[in-house]
Amino acid sequence: MTSARHRIWDLLTSLKLTIGCLAALMVLVVACTLAQVHLGTFGAVERYMRSWLVWWDIPGTVLSVPVFPGGALAGLVLVVNLIAAQARRLDLSARKAGIWIIHAGLILLVAGEFVTGMYQTDNQLIFREGETTNFVQSPRELELALIDTTDPAHDDVYGIPERLLARADAVEIHGTPITLRIRRFYENSELFNLPPGQAAVATAGVGTGVLVQEAPPVTTDDRMNQAAAFVEPRAGDRSYGTWLVSNALGAPQSFVHEGRTYLLTMRARREYLPYALTLKDFRHDVYPGTDIPKNFSSLVHLSGRGGEERDALIYMNQPLRHDGKAFYRASFGEGDRLSVLQVVENPGWLLPYVSCVLVTLGLLVHFAIALRRGLRRQAQARAAPGPVTPAGAERASRAALGGLT
Amino acid sequence: MAKSGLDRTMDAGWDGSPGGASPEGLSMPFEGAVRAARSRRSGARRPRPSGWLTAGLILAAAAGCRRDEVTHFRVPKTSPAPALAAMAATPGAPAAGELPAPPTPGGALRWKLPAGWTQAQGGGPMRYATLKPPVPGKVDVTVIVLPGAAGGELANVNRWRNQIGLPPADEAGLAAARKTLRTGAGDVSVYDFASEGQVSTRTVAGLALVEGSSWFIKMTGDSSAVGAARPAFLELLGSLRRDVR
Repeated sequence: MTSARHRIWDLLTSLKLTIGCLAALMVLVVACTLAQVHLGTFGAVERYMRSWLVWWDIPGTVLSVPVFPGGALAGLVLVVNLIAAQARRLDLSARKAGIWIIHAGLILLVAGEFVTGMYQTDNQLIFREGETTNFVQSPRELELALIDTTDPAHDDVYGIPERLLARADAVEIHGTPITLRIRRFYENSELFNLPPGQAAVATAGVGTGVLVQEAPPVTTDDRMNQAAAFVEPRAGDRSYGTWLVSNALGAPQSFVHEGRTYLLTMRARREYLPYALTLKDFRHDVYPGTDIPKNFSSLVHLSGRGGEERDALIYMNQPLRHDGKAFYRASFGEGDRLSVLQVVENPGWLLPYVSCVLVTLGLLVHFAIALRRGLRRQAQARAAPGPVTPAGAERASRAALGGLT
Repeated sequence: MAKSGLDRTMDAGWDGSPGGASPEGLSMPFEGAVRAARSRRSGARRPRPSGWLTAGLILAAAAGCRRDEVTHFRVPKTSPAPALAAMAATPGAPAAGELPAPPTPGGALRWKLPAGWTQAQGGGPMRYATLKPPVPGKVDVTVIVLPGAAGGELANVNRWRNQIGLPPADEAGLAAARKTLRTGAGDVSVYDFASEGQVSTRTVAGLALVEGSSWFIKMTGDSSAVGAARPAFLELLGSLRRDVR
């Protein structure tokens, strides 16, 4: 038992494991880069870098087998390996302070990627000059929105993410008497006119004339899944029929329960902001006499909490940072009147910077310690009696380099 | 300057009471503030060093769960619910509290194909027909029919606008953009939108409501190709008539 524990401990602290993890990450980076041709950036990163295992679909079957560790697994093992190796080999002394700082920086770098993978949200904000908007929407994820439009002053918007639609049989909408039974969900689908004589799954709304067929999920960046679901709104024992919802239909459908009107619509997943942005001016400057872009910038006005009112100019590599979100310039359109901002929220965005500073600092500290030690040995060697031989000079030179070799 | 205003609650285990009806939840007047009604457990202990891995796994699980939650936002109305209004204005739309009747099969449409154009039946999901104009460049002409109002004119037009990267229009914008063509199949609403950003695309589309079915005849593609095919496309729209058999 003890020897097995030793073997595991040896493995965890092995330098070979470090090299193996780094090699696996290099292979994953190459594979992920090549896979972007077919899967798109997001799909490739999800499949190779943010997964525990890389799966291979066996052709002609529905089976998948893991064929390689994913980036998450390789990163986790690398972190464990770094921590274990540091605990085993390095003594907690000022002499090794640089190595400690370097290791801490590396661990923080990998941990930062985990934080990014788990917590980062990536949305878009689209508006025209003069328009004010207070929500961002996902370029990839969808939601089924149930909107209570009864109140003349405001709407209550309940968003059910597609991932919940995919796995839940029923979704209780807290704050309303409505429960949505999910009869069938299609991550991607094709819609056809219902052939004559064929019974429809939907019993209400536009879906009564539509046939839904499952389609393989979209994998490229420039396309979005055409998700569809058959849902049955229920309030207590009362059913409001089975409705087809899909972002391909793009049109809200409605039902009324006890005087309250509810809209059902599948759309890009939204996040409403506690502030509003107005696009005051979009600039697309070109070099004189050419169509070569010189500058893209969006001048926005922020109306925020507590009466905050201010302008901000967003341009290349100069995002607006507000309330934990960064608004980057992303695209434009409609005769240079429309601006698209990429809205990124990542609580760990500072971690890579901190880790780089730590690694740099650790290297400097370690070099300074080694240099000081080497110089001291050189001084001792000079002070010692006897002739200076070539072997002695080489020893002194090696001592000056210290732990860097 | 329009101000935004909304409340937000996160369901599924975050709220102390269903539907965010807690004091932190619904009905908070907006003063530029959104509060996520996540109840914070007081007296939480700092994880022991030996529990870092467990804490990390819990954090990871919490992050995953949070993305799967039902969200709730209270947002001020910016405009009356146009799609609902469109549905209510549609003959045969359900009365409050009733289920809509199944759509009745509508009569088909016919048209005169402009010179040089070709036509294939179907050609894709929901397609009644696919047309091909004799112009160079990327252009796609489809005829799609859906039962009923298919959600209303505004929602469908906004879907087309979204497809070429334009923001949604409101009722006033819709009315300003609409041109009406009188045809043998009744009035056809014609829209022409162009997106001239990094990808220059254009959509010209006609929308007709025929015997309870919505017909969408849409041409979309590169601006230059759509522009070249536009006169013939309008000629095709003008030739629409009901298929009386």
